Amino acid sequence: MKNHYIRLFIIAAIIGLCIWAIYPVQQKIKEGLDLKGGVHIVLQVEKPLNIPHPNMSDVTNRALEIIRNRVDALGISEPSIEKSGMDRIIVDLPGVKQPQQAIKIIGKTALLEFCLVSDNQQKIAEAISGKVPKGYQLLYSEKRNANGVMEKSAPLLVKVPPELTGADLSDAQVGYSNSGFPVVSLTFNSKGTTKFSDVTSANVGKRLAIILDGIIQSAPVIREAISGGKAQISGNFSLSEAKNLALVLRAGALPAKVKVIYKQIIGPSLGKQYIQDAIHAALWGSIVVVLFMIIYYAGFGLLADFALVLNILMLLAVMAVFKGTLTLPGIAGIALTIGMSVDANILIFERIREELKLGKSPRGAIDAGYHRAWSAIIDSHVTTIIAGIILFYLGAGAIKGFGFTLTVGLAANLLTAVFITKSIVDYIVDAKGVEKIRI
Amino acid sequence: MELIKKTNFDFLSYRKYFYIISLTIIIAGIISFALRGKKNFGPDFIGGDLLQIQITSPVSSATIRNYLQPLDKFQIRVQTVGSLHNQFIIRSLPNTSSIILTQLQDTIGASNIKVLSNSVISPTMSTTLRNKALIAFFIGLIAILIYIAIRFEFHFGITATIATFHDLLIVMAFMALAGKTFDSTLIAALLTIAGYSTNDTIVIFDRIRENIRKTRSTNYMEVFNKSINETLSRTTLTVCTVVFVDLALFFFGGEALHDFAYALLIGFVVGAYSSIFIASALIISWQKKNPFKIKL
Repeated sequence: MKNHYIRLFIIAAIIGLCIWAIYPVQQKIKEGLDLKGGVHIVLQVEKPLNIPHPNMSDVTNRALEIIRNRVDALGISEPSIEKSGMDRIIVDLPGVKQPQQAIKIIGKTALLEFCLVSDNQQKIAEAISGKVPKGYQLLYSEKRNANGVMEKSAPLLVKVPPELTGADLSDAQVGYSNSGFPVVSLTFNSKGTTKFSDVTSANVGKRLAIILDGIIQSAPVIREAISGGKAQISGNFSLSEAKNLALVLRAGALPAKVKVIYKQIIGPSLGKQYIQDAIHAALWGSIVVVLFMIIYYAGFGLLADFALVLNILMLLAVMAVFKGTLTLPGIAGIALTIGMSVDANILIFERIREELKLGKSPRGAIDAGYHRAWSAIIDSHVTTIIAGIILFYLGAGAIKGFGFTLTVGLAANLLTAVFITKSIVDYIVDAKGVEKIRI
Repeated sequence: MELIKKTNFDFLSYRKYFYIISLTIIIAGIISFALRGKKNFGPDFIGGDLLQIQITSPVSSATIRNYLQPLDKFQIRVQTVGSLHNQFIIRSLPNTSSIILTQLQDTIGASNIKVLSNSVISPTMSTTLRNKALIAFFIGLIAILIYIAIRFEFHFGITATIATFHDLLIVMAFMALAGKTFDSTLIAALLTIAGYSTNDTIVIFDRIRENIRKTRSTNYMEVFNKSINETLSRTTLTVCTVVFVDLALFFFGGEALHDFAYALLIGFVVGAYSSIFIASALIISWQKKNPFKIKL
């Protein structure tokens, strides 16, 4: 007797946990790019021509850093930028407003420039008032504040054309100064060495801004004339800031060309239409299945329907906990799970019917039904779960979502069919002392 | 309620007719596939563009095709979406959709066209996508077959495997005959079918094993027929519930899920059919030719 209550308590606890996991739904379950609308692009990083044996992985890392800077500048929430293989970069920009323009900006080759900063107060005032003097540009640096929002710094007025560009630089590395602070060491190539020597000797005491794609990365002061082609930027930066600056400089020194080899733009209205259609279909499908089970198996059908609802609840809870995203094929997977989830129960109920026909008591028929159907249930689920797992791990794009919902849905189904409905049936038959069952 | 009462069909005596039906469909599919050539494959397998647009006032797809006449060399295919005649999917060669869009904007006016979606898949990327899909498919298929091999005795394992391949071939045949394209989505559907279709076979084989154990009979024809009849209600019911849902996806799920639902629909029905008329029947044919005892 006590045993029943423990099992019913476990079921209630599972339901409670699931609801807690998925509430509030809008926040917990993220929509995939196909439903939300947005841009998905795959970029191929091309081999730099001026280097005989480039380390493609490194080249890609640099390109990735540049793309990250650009995406940050676009101000898109929750972008995803990933390296794929040695020489590809996958960028997901959900909800981007002007997709074509965003793609254009991201696909540009990096531009690294070194420009002198003007300290002429009159010109700066003019520029800030909106009239930028000829031969100058007003530029900003950007930093993420504590809340993760990009903020522009106070502007600097820089002289154009730039004194040097990325083509003059050959390397940049993080090192340590004699006093132990992180510094960034630059090495210029022969052409760069001459130019850098000229600039530094003529402008001691002025600032030289390092600009990537129009955004100031750093603006160190020129302390002395440097003629050896090697310079050091020291300042108040942390190791990670120094590393970042070195990376930006290296990336600009060897700008890798990227080519868009795959682009998918989904407008927000189409995403909405997808969701509407798919949910509409899933609802219709489940209504038919739910009604069918009640009509066909009466009270037992109701039980199977309860299991079905619980099944979906568990599926959504797992999705919320593992931060899975819901895609269009994912919704199709949920719908199919609804169709397949009654499968196990049908197998059991049909078996119970057979056992009853053989003249067994309700208790005996139920035990035999669950016991005998068990091996067929396991077997039939395992092969489909294998398919689901493979699609989740190896599938491309939105198909992953299908593999996920299919696998989790079927696994949840095993639990509901075998533990949850069995517990409830046991409780009703034993506690209520049922003499006859209709199925 | 009980729809299928105790039945006593002699399924297996007519097995030769069912072999012929299956073979005919498969051969027709292969011929159709061979004749269609490159048109068999979707853009994610061979590269290509897809542009989905909505136009303010309804027009026929022929009109759109007419507007795009000058760009004929891009192998443009126009398809109407929905019943309102204002949404179209335009497929074309890789990197041509922007030119197509400009052409349409020049003809109809830029403000009258809304781009719902646009994908551009270059041949380099489609090679990756295709390989990825095929690797997933074969690894999945091998895993499923290994499970079958472990779980069943030799003869059951072989025929269940043949039945699985049969199901996949029939689905592909129906895809080719209906003029659908082969792409990553179809591969996902095929793998799902391979997993699910063994389901019915497993249930029937399970019952056959149980009945042989119980009766110690070696009149396999009789035991098989009996087992199929006993599980017929269950086979029909489970196929029905999953087909209900799939039909809902097919009719209401929208353009994007249409072909996926179509492939699954064929797969689910064929999976049930093959568990009786292919998997079980083949063991009987094999046994008749080359008598063996089924190990338990």
